[in-house]
Amino acid sequence: MTAQQAISSAPAHDRAAAQATKGLSFRPTLGNIGAVFVVGLWLFPVYWIALTSLKPIVEINNAVPIFIFTPTLENYRELFTKFDFARVLMNSLVIAFVSCFVVIVLAVLAAYALARMKVPGEKHIALWILSLRFLPPIAVAIPFYIQWQDLNLLDTYAGLIIIYVAFNLPFAIWMMRGFLADVPVALEEAALLDGLTRLQIIRRIVVPVVMPGIASTAIFTFVFTWNEYLMALMLTAFKSVTVPVTIAKFVQPYTILWGQLSAAVVIQVVPMLIVVFLLQRHIVRGMTLGAVK
Amino acid sequence: MTLRLQNVQKAYPSGFMAVKGVDLDVEDGEFFTLLGPSGCGKTTTLRMIAGLEAPTAGKIFIGGNDFTDTHPRDRDVAMVFQSYALYPHMTVRENLGLNLEIKHVASAEIVARIQNIARMLDIGALLDKKPGELSGGQRQRVALGRALIRRPNIFLMDEPLSNLDLKLRERTRTELKKLHETLKVTTIYVTHDQAEALVLSNRIGIMDSGDLIQVGTPQEIYDRPKSVFVARFVGTPSINLVNVVVQNLNGRLAIRLTGDEKPLDSVLLPASEEVFRKLGQSGLELILGVRPEAIGVLTGLHPDAAPAEIDLVEPMGSVNNIVLRFTNGVGSTADGEPLIGVVTSNESHERGQKVWIRVRPERLVLFDKATGHTVTVLSKERWEEL
Repeated sequence: MTAQQAISSAPAHDRAAAQATKGLSFRPTLGNIGAVFVVGLWLFPVYWIALTSLKPIVEINNAVPIFIFTPTLENYRELFTKFDFARVLMNSLVIAFVSCFVVIVLAVLAAYALARMKVPGEKHIALWILSLRFLPPIAVAIPFYIQWQDLNLLDTYAGLIIIYVAFNLPFAIWMMRGFLADVPVALEEAALLDGLTRLQIIRRIVVPVVMPGIASTAIFTFVFTWNEYLMALMLTAFKSVTVPVTIAKFVQPYTILWGQLSAAVVIQVVPMLIVVFLLQRHIVRGMTLGAVK
Repeated sequence: MTLRLQNVQKAYPSGFMAVKGVDLDVEDGEFFTLLGPSGCGKTTTLRMIAGLEAPTAGKIFIGGNDFTDTHPRDRDVAMVFQSYALYPHMTVRENLGLNLEIKHVASAEIVARIQNIARMLDIGALLDKKPGELSGGQRQRVALGRALIRRPNIFLMDEPLSNLDLKLRERTRTELKKLHETLKVTTIYVTHDQAEALVLSNRIGIMDSGDLIQVGTPQEIYDRPKSVFVARFVGTPSINLVNVVVQNLNGRLAIRLTGDEKPLDSVLLPASEEVFRKLGQSGLELILGVRPEAIGVLTGLHPDAAPAEIDLVEPMGSVNNIVLRFTNGVGSTADGEPLIGVVTSNESHERGQKVWIRVRPERLVLFDKATGHTVTVLSKERWEEL
């Protein structure tokens, strides 16, 4: 008998009580109220930006903050007509997805080698790889500009993708190394005995099992790449400008284009939400439950 | 398929020798168990047979061919892991069929074999479930199915029953035995559970600290252990080890408990010339190994027998384990442990009760005090060499 059936077959007054306590109950304790307050505080800017993006310019610049108004899509329209935002968005999407994909493929293979194959000095290599992440990007921004200029990689997709892969790979390898170490070796040994080649094992056994780790690494890499400002600023100009750089352009010498800026920010957040929402399905607890006792 | 291990060794870079030169011949269709305590090298040996680890010395022959350097993929050896190692993201059906799919077996054949295995192991209802949805016993059967479906030359099992509760373990043990009787695949089984080894095996190989100490049928291992270690490892409750002094009394072996002047009259039995010669070498202070079922616990008055006091009575259902200590300065155990005797539970005994111990001439063994090796074994009322 399921809980549903149990509830509906019980006498009437019991049924009401059961319905009332089904699900989470919110009791107005001090802690709960405090939590709601803090969450509200943090969520407010997000709400305000979304609100602002829908406001006509007159009401944005009003001295007193306005919460009730007639929403308009004027700001969004201006983004796409005056600021070529469609292309900017496309640039960001392509660069982020390609970087993410390349990073994942390379990181999984590299981390697998580190985690499984008896590489001498493996721990030292792993730590050295991680240390690459400690480098502040700004220290190498100008050298990269000079090199990229010579290589004709300025203002191209490839130019930025190479940079992002280079900067994200160390941490991705470090993360995947940890996730792969959690995959029971016995699974691969069983696969070896079943006749699979090493590549088949990686493709058909290891990757599906470590998918939560891959999803986490992918989310991390995507978010970093999507939001990256400094290198994008340095290495792009017109053709492959990304969203963060464009948003900064709305802060102009004499005025700040709040309406368009808010609209751009809202649009920037949406792909991240989608990616995280899609990938979080794969971060299912206990993926390896049932494989090994 | 026969299996031969020739001086197989496994040394680690640190210098530690997990396996110290094992020689083994397993016959076709035989169920051979490697039995020993944790860390004795039995799992390492099994993994070398599978090819998951490479021996640092020695050779492995399967069916007469040298497979020492062959990849595990090409050995046609199937293994059931202690942790089952089922692929968690695949259904039971896919788990079972993966190997056949990789080897490009026709799909009709794969379906047929899966049906067959499902029937044999009663897992038909589970075929479309994932390992995470199964119980321990069900997973164990799927792991077995995955190995069986390949019809391998050699079947390897690494403590497959250790994760199951007792009742399930006993049932699965019986099923495994029946399965082996039906299929007659050469099987190498690794366990530290001596009961499993005794029940399942055609022959047992006892290992300790990397050495293969004794190989024999379960009955041989039980009746004629080569050393104290083997005698103590097999048999439950453990064998009793009693300090004794022996003497040649007109061609018979007289055995005296410490502190006693006269020899045990229940065990005054002939011995061969070779035995006496060996005794001459190893000296006269020995250790007598007496199985608990060979200890007679007598109430009433038996001044000829050795006096003892009951420390504890352990009821076991149909029998009681009686834990005893020698008293009155007569008799001592080799390791200071109490004696254990087994009586039927129809008799009743109490803690603190004063009783008399008689040693029955069944399966007695005399061990060298210094080395722990067996000097002579009692067989059919006569002391013999091993």
